[in-house]
Amino acid sequence: MIGSPLKNIIRYSISGVPYDIWSFPGLIFILGSIVIFPPLYREFFDLRIHGKSLVNIALTPHSKTKIIFSNLVVAIVETIIISILSGIIYTIFIEISFSLLNLLFFLSALILYLFLIGNLFITILLVIDTLSTVLLTISIIFLINIFGNGFIIETSFFPNELGELLALQPLSLPFQLYQTFNSIGIINFEFFLSLFPIVYLWILLNSFLLKRKMLQ
Amino acid sequence: MEASITLKKVGKLVRDKTVLAGLSFGVERGSLVAIVGENDSGKSVLLKLLSGYENPNYGQVFIHGLDMQKRRKETRNLIGYVPYESNLDPWLTLKQNILFNANLYGIDSVKAIERINYYSSLLNLKKSLNEFSYRASGGEQKKAMLIRSLIHDPDILIMDEPTAFMDAESIRLTWDLLKDLKGEKSIIYVSNSLSEIEQAHDRILVFNEGRILMDGHLDKLLESTMDYHQFQIEFEDLSIDLYNKLKKIVTVVSPNKLDNTFHFYGRNRGVFFDVVREASNNMMVNLEVKNLGLRDLLDSEFAGKGLD
Repeated sequence: MIGSPLKNIIRYSISGVPYDIWSFPGLIFILGSIVIFPPLYREFFDLRIHGKSLVNIALTPHSKTKIIFSNLVVAIVETIIISILSGIIYTIFIEISFSLLNLLFFLSALILYLFLIGNLFITILLVIDTLSTVLLTISIIFLINIFGNGFIIETSFFPNELGELLALQPLSLPFQLYQTFNSIGIINFEFFLSLFPIVYLWILLNSFLLKRKMLQ
Repeated sequence: MEASITLKKVGKLVRDKTVLAGLSFGVERGSLVAIVGENDSGKSVLLKLLSGYENPNYGQVFIHGLDMQKRRKETRNLIGYVPYESNLDPWLTLKQNILFNANLYGIDSVKAIERINYYSSLLNLKKSLNEFSYRASGGEQKKAMLIRSLIHDPDILIMDEPTAFMDAESIRLTWDLLKDLKGEKSIIYVSNSLSEIEQAHDRILVFNEGRILMDGHLDKLLESTMDYHQFQIEFEDLSIDLYNKLKKIVTVVSPNKLDNTFHFYGRNRGVFFDVVREASNNMMVNLEVKNLGLRDLLDSEFAGKGLD
């Protein structure tokens, strides 16, 4: 639905790759953002607001950091499985070949991205208490995510300064790193490694928010 | 006897309102402690503090001598908590809910299944274990929560209305199990069912506005009221004039009118004759004299001022 009409507008990426092949990883990233939301919503909003199982989990001898991390990992595993399946289905319609190294780096970038977007969702779900506000905020994030992270429109298409800003924001970085590797075969390890402390600090922030929300 | 739980000047504020104020008491290991009190008297907040669900604003809670806030991990392994309302995951079966908790406490699955089978047969829950929890009745959910709280074999069991939503048979089975566990585990529960409390307690804590008003075994609590009796006289017609006249008898304590029935307390049976004398011109239909129970003790007039 996103890729088909856009390939008639943008035929090639700036680096000269056919659009439907170039957009494939971005579509998987978008799918990942959508798939990871329901399990996190269930754990950190629905079950918290209605005083359900999250309260019980919080009473067990596990730290809040561990609770946040475990929930993220479970949601990411589910998302990766669905993403791989949908990727396989997508390759029926278009011809894409991946080298093993390419596939591994793609999965690493996707996992890093899911840790970041998952943390963002958890923060929103813990900070906001009303369903309508949560849904409105998430919708806005989805829109920014789809168009502002370079998933389907390269950040180079934006005005220079805005494009650079969008390409360097943490949620966009994993995808940009992957696309750079995909097109010129270089991995920017500085940027890649800088995402790990961001993920860690975000998990700590979320565990602090969870602790406060549960009055513990 | 060794203390299982010790509270030292514990205070809790909820939205600037003091719910618990400088509360200090201890619970002996293996004892069965009932907490009663009016709504909003701080009972449930106390249970939340004891279970570790919330932290006090000031003061300390010790579990087996360990500070609950500083030694969180160890103390949480010692406690099982059954809340009033179901907090089971609705999309898991009752058994899955219990097994999930067993995993969280690192209990071996063989041992967990063994414990589930043991407790579910005692509570007659075996047939419903594979039901999704949203489909199970309130009583079944409560029993599943009780098993879930016991799955890691805690030393302390904290329960908010342990038999809420249960039918008569389930209430009996639950109390049989809890009485069996007494001695081995310290059990602290809040209940509004006074008949259950009268039958199952080593100690009763009566709460009022975040303070302990009375503390002890029911017999001990009733000691000061030993001379007192409660009387009930049903008249053919208890008019307001007659009620007001009877109310004024100095020996009558805490009088009440319910339709044509005059209900009152008295220090000795002689009070009864004072009332009969005063109402001699009116037809009496029925008479009843009873000893005082927990209900009378908790009657606001008595709880607030004491009998004397």
